Amino acid sequence: MRALRRLVLVAIAGAALAQGSVGLAAERTEAWIPEPMPPGFRVEPSPMDGPVFANAAGRTLYRWPFRVMRNGVTGDARGESACTGVKYTESAGLMSPYPGGLVLPELDTRPACTDVWPPELAPAGAEPIGNWSVITRKDGRQQWAYDGAALYTSVLDRRPGDVLGGDKPEQGFDSPAVREPIAPEPDLPPGFMVNTTLRGRILLTERGFTVYTSDADRRGRSRCIGACAQEWQPLAAPASGRARGDWHIVDRTDGERQWVFRGRPLYRHLADTHVRSLEGTDVPGWNAVYVREVPQPREFTVQQTPAGVVLADAQGKTIYTYTCGDDAPDQLGCDHPSQTQAYRMGLCGGGSAERCLKNFPYVLAAGSSRSGGPLWSVVSIDPRSGHFAGPDAPGVLRVWAFRDRPVYTFAGDPGPGDTNAESLGEFQSERTGYKAFWLHTDVARVEF
Amino acid sequence: MKHPPPPRLLPMLGLLLAGFAHADSPDRPTGGSIAYVLTNMSWAMQSTPGAAECPKGLNEGTREQFKQLFPDNGTKRSFESTQLRREIDGFHPTIAAEPFVYREGEGPVAPGLDLDGIAGPEDFRSPDGHGGIDNQMHRVLGCTANYRGPDGPIRFFEDEMVLRENYNRVVVQLGGVDSLKDDDAVEVRIFRGRDKVLVDAGGLKAVPGGTQRVDLRRGANYIREMHGRISGGVLRTEPVDLLYPWDVFYFPSDQYMYKARLELTLAPTAATGLIGGYVDIETWYLHMIRNWSTHYQSYGNSSAPSIYKAMRRLADAEPDSQTGRNRAISGALATVFTQVNIIEPDPAEYAEALTRRRIAAPYRGMPAERDPAEEQFELPASTPAVAAANGGSR
Repeated sequence: MRALRRLVLVAIAGAALAQGSVGLAAERTEAWIPEPMPPGFRVEPSPMDGPVFANAAGRTLYRWPFRVMRNGVTGDARGESACTGVKYTESAGLMSPYPGGLVLPELDTRPACTDVWPPELAPAGAEPIGNWSVITRKDGRQQWAYDGAALYTSVLDRRPGDVLGGDKPEQGFDSPAVREPIAPEPDLPPGFMVNTTLRGRILLTERGFTVYTSDADRRGRSRCIGACAQEWQPLAAPASGRARGDWHIVDRTDGERQWVFRGRPLYRHLADTHVRSLEGTDVPGWNAVYVREVPQPREFTVQQTPAGVVLADAQGKTIYTYTCGDDAPDQLGCDHPSQTQAYRMGLCGGGSAERCLKNFPYVLAAGSSRSGGPLWSVVSIDPRSGHFAGPDAPGVLRVWAFRDRPVYTFAGDPGPGDTNAESLGEFQSERTGYKAFWLHTDVARVEF
Repeated sequence: MKHPPPPRLLPMLGLLLAGFAHADSPDRPTGGSIAYVLTNMSWAMQSTPGAAECPKGLNEGTREQFKQLFPDNGTKRSFESTQLRREIDGFHPTIAAEPFVYREGEGPVAPGLDLDGIAGPEDFRSPDGHGGIDNQMHRVLGCTANYRGPDGPIRFFEDEMVLRENYNRVVVQLGGVDSLKDDDAVEVRIFRGRDKVLVDAGGLKAVPGGTQRVDLRRGANYIREMHGRISGGVLRTEPVDLLYPWDVFYFPSDQYMYKARLELTLAPTAATGLIGGYVDIETWYLHMIRNWSTHYQSYGNSSAPSIYKAMRRLADAEPDSQTGRNRAISGALATVFTQVNIIEPDPAEYAEALTRRRIAAPYRGMPAERDPAEEQFELPASTPAVAAANGGSR
């Protein structure tokens, strides 16, 4: 059993990254705690969400957590699946203040839940193992479940490690009832945790405070003593702590034992004003620790704003993502180019594609830019419809996409550092709307 | 390349170097400097318990408007022609007429400042009897429950977030002060602080004596410097165009006021009073529509599209050079500041921050504007509101 729980290093997915499309150093790996799985199931590294469980074909597995909405509930109750082949035609009225019963947009192409979230069916005779069990769907078929939650794959995922159907950054109270990838427990010493951000998987203390390293430290030894250690608390290892994998322990001159990750002694910044604050990174020479960092396209820039640091285009204009979930009982997405664009067109252009293009222009890819791994890619978009188009279609635009969804700038931002479209949308854009691409924010809820 | 400091920076640097020390008498701050951190803020308007300023009653909100437009009579309607369309009306507001009654706050009394030195027909009389008060925002918001005192939902939360959220940490620092009662020349600096406010054991009441660092990292744009004078214990400043942070529920947001001036009653532990000026309409509206979704608007019967139309209709300043239409509206913020000690920044770092300061241009709205004709609605003839709309107040 001890061997079973040993550190497992994750292979780097998609090793070849296209020329001119990624900026940061080589991707690092993330360890997890192995556990028994159904035959053929495996763990795949995902670029932003860390290791995720996948089926025998390598497709990421998702659950649909039961969720209380403003008016009513949705999602899967334990041991059941509410995702069926029913094609809903009317809104559910789950979100205040509007009533339900409104005919949903683009019914002719609207899918059923199982069209976009195929249940992960279990073969005849499948046996429960560990956290994995088998539930019976209403149509009598058997479906795999993890920790009691019915499992699905996403039609948006194409390659092992893709997490295009849904991700793990914290959802707001008024977000749609989104699907989440399921994942094994990260293999970390006690007292630490890892969280998903747009910049990557960040290492935190178990209470949620950011973990830092210092550029001044050398060869695994801490140079932060005296007054420095009053501001930057060395993260002490317990007497029972042991080195393994990326983790080591160094004896400090004051007699304390300090955790070291990948050769860097670890600290907490005592002046950080709230959990997950990154204020310490404003001090020159101090860095937050990312277990795995998301590379950004080289042609992008980083800009300071009054609320933090954002990713920006080559001209310095803030980049925005667009998120959307509809108000049907099955809470389908509406932010991917393969899905309805009615909500986005309404928000960005009052229903006019032409105005959308003026208000929220796509971030065009430079001529030499190509896809840059599973998170950032260059896609071809028909600007009139907002859907994918062939690369040679008339009027097609080559635009940058994050997680397969185009990103935008806002014409209402006069210059670098402006974020006027941050949280512009329904329910502060939690339901449908634009979010600035925060790399670092001083405001507690924005980044996660 | 660094720019040379502006001439007005020099006295401010002196102020910085002077620092703050405990007062040696209640009226004379030691070192000639005292600072206050903003701990309460709301729109100044008349809100009497009986709503005498709203003789036509209070406004209906977006939920009620939706029911008027789309009554529950068994008609099957599309999402796009109803819910999505009303959301579009909020995010792409126009000045088109709408079939709803908008009830404005009325006079003769409303708090505020005399911004133009003229006693015009639209002006109010202040609660303490001063005439010529310019506060068209009272007309816009005075009869909308969300904004009325003492506890309209939006008013309550926006006020609470001033204390709770560091993004909103506005500080006013006075320099060259001989007396908190009378001094005909003081230097005033507004900046953003970086720290939490010192509060009492209950956690909701600010107490004096806390400390604040000056936000030179990301707060340079908020720094303003101006002259002022103190008379009878009241600080009055010259007008400046003021950018100020007002984050609500952790969604960062700013507001902009033209020709803003402070009128604060000073005490050693607190400063209370008004910040008056001309509110940039598009910036104000962006703050509102980003932070207060239709759901929250429904808490206290406000309607974003209707408020926008009222603001544009009642705007009284900053005419657009192209259209001639006013882009700003007179108003005032009721404020409470609490004494705080400033951890002075390095003067060189402060000067460097000023070189990065961008006097932000107000937000100008969605560049591709919607045609007002797209927002035309007709209420069903059977709806009683039709009659009310036809007899609307303006």
